[in-house]
Amino acid sequence: MSEIKQYIQTLLAQKNISVAKNRESIFEEFTKEEANIFAVNQIKDNQKMMLDKWVLKNRVSDIIDQQLIIPNATVGKPYEVYIDYSKAGMDDLAYTSFDDLGQFGLEYNEQLGTIKGIPTKSGEFKISMKFRVNGENEDSELNNKKVSLIINADPKSLWKNIPSDLDKDEIWKNVNYWKPDIDYDFKPLGDKHIVVASKRGRSHANVGSFRDDDFSFKHLEETGWSIVCVADGAGSASLSRLGSKLACEFVISYFEENFNSDIVTELDSLIKNRDQSQDDVKQKNLDLFIYNNLGKAAFFVHKGLQDYANKLERPLKDLHSTLIFALFKKYDFGYAILSFGVGDCPIGLVNKDLTEIQLMNWLDVGEFGGGTRFITMPEIFSSNKFPTRFGFKVVEDFSYLMLMTDGIYDPKFVVEANLEKIECWSAFLEDLHGDNESNIKVELIAKNENLPIQLSEWMDFWSSGNHDDRTLAIVF
Amino acid sequence: MRRLPVYLLLDTSGSMSGEPIEAVKNGVQVMISSLRQNPQAIETAFISVITFDSSAKQIIPLTDLASFQMVDLKATGVTALGDALKLVSNKIDTEVEKTTPEQKGDWKPLVFIMTDGIPTDNWQSGLAEFKKRKTAFVVACAAGAGADTNILKQITDNVVSLDTADSSSIAKFFQWVTASIGVSSTKVEDSGKEVQGLSELPPPPSELNIVV
Repeated sequence: MSEIKQYIQTLLAQKNISVAKNRESIFEEFTKEEANIFAVNQIKDNQKMMLDKWVLKNRVSDIIDQQLIIPNATVGKPYEVYIDYSKAGMDDLAYTSFDDLGQFGLEYNEQLGTIKGIPTKSGEFKISMKFRVNGENEDSELNNKKVSLIINADPKSLWKNIPSDLDKDEIWKNVNYWKPDIDYDFKPLGDKHIVVASKRGRSHANVGSFRDDDFSFKHLEETGWSIVCVADGAGSASLSRLGSKLACEFVISYFEENFNSDIVTELDSLIKNRDQSQDDVKQKNLDLFIYNNLGKAAFFVHKGLQDYANKLERPLKDLHSTLIFALFKKYDFGYAILSFGVGDCPIGLVNKDLTEIQLMNWLDVGEFGGGTRFITMPEIFSSNKFPTRFGFKVVEDFSYLMLMTDGIYDPKFVVEANLEKIECWSAFLEDLHGDNESNIKVELIAKNENLPIQLSEWMDFWSSGNHDDRTLAIVF
Repeated sequence: MRRLPVYLLLDTSGSMSGEPIEAVKNGVQVMISSLRQNPQAIETAFISVITFDSSAKQIIPLTDLASFQMVDLKATGVTALGDALKLVSNKIDTEVEKTTPEQKGDWKPLVFIMTDGIPTDNWQSGLAEFKKRKTAFVVACAAGAGADTNILKQITDNVVSLDTADSSSIAKFFQWVTASIGVSSTKVEDSGKEVQGLSELPPPPSELNIVV
């Protein structure tokens, strides 16, 4: 049976018209008439065209409804992404364009399927993707699909810098234990020099709160010992800015009052004798001396903070602060360096020719972040780890003795293990000497009058996720 | 850099279909947009979305806010909460970094659970796994009257409930989750300490009832 005949038969059947037996030959002739063949073919062509059109239309709608992911961009950050149409199930796109990308500083390359540029404007946008699918006429109108484009703000632009004493008077400052948002100093210290800068972190600047870090240093002319202290008040403690300040002051006042000539004479002789022999007993005596005297200093600070808290009728934990301090003295055979530390701030001693690093203390870090200890915690004194908090070293000379808070150590050394690697300290020194994003050079020489300003400016370095207060003391 | 991992466990069972599921999807989207404006959150918070219906699926692995893109949610099936607890436990093991001498660990994760029904699987075994993981805090939200706050109370002390699972209540819940993530990321960055529980979070809006 011919296709034409079958078609007409089906058509008649749909209309409930049957062909009588005696008219079959007439029907046969009817299906062979040229005009009817033509008409059937035309109907079939039209049907096919309509089906194809519907399939295309359906396909276009599918594409419009489907999610097409364009990776998020960030203002100021070079952006280049390839739009993976086949991954999105859009293999059959014949043509695509994104015309409104120019306003964001971006450009679309149709051949490569890439979006490229440096975004200029942040926000969550709906952009138009114009497209044609395979099978559509080349001159047909383009279809329009809305696609999400997220451009993040430059993280730096989100931070505010609100002075902690904005519109405040002296009385307010006194009552609130205010301290400057930035503090720095540069002085001779014994026969060395010290430069130190302490800066409020961006997280505090963003809300106009106080700097929690502090520092102090002092050369005791009479005995020849020099002291350097750095403390980091706990952000969660309401008076930590005071705690760190007091801790630094108490260390200095302890040694001023208690490092008298009797004690220092004994210490000097222990150190000198130790240098002459490697006697175990003498070493033990020296360890015991350091443990006793530096331990007393640490406890003096703890007690002082406790008394202060009592006076203020505040719990001691309001003054939570970490504390590190180092003492050094020049002898004819070299330098002796003593140290104490509680918390997560390191003391590093770099040798004369920059080839060795001695980490003077271990850091209190927990399994997860945030497991530090404070000088305000009574349990540190009863812990069997307490004797290990002291450091002692005799060296011929040193290039740098550095004390820093975690605001410096976290971004620059990342983990504790790196503090014992000389290559990490070399990189750190190169960073200070100008090998950094902002090309800021800290020239660590005694005659550099700009040194504290340089150090303070260097401290503005950007490090994502690291916006704590930053304090760095360098003895050189 | 220490990340603050945030796990959202969202009920996508059949009963959530329609307004509630749209509200949840919208809630997550608004939350992400808002956190992107917070300089501490955008650098610290990493978000993962785990959905649970007849089984649990991590539809978005732990992702930073800057690259986060919400995907479509479909409500279907039953409420495999136990499976979700098991899955989030696995993800905490594999995605959250611990501090070792060689690397700085992440902050302890925050977990937010939202459900409108009663678990249909063996939730106790999932819970037993989950309890072995360290988290900063877990908040469970019972959305509407169909949820059983007694079960949620066994998962965490921090349980809130919504009278109805309508779009405005769900939006309020996500606003509060947003504020809580904001506070947590500020706290870890400022003080190096994690938020421990409900009392340290911003007060929930009146639409959220604290279940005691």
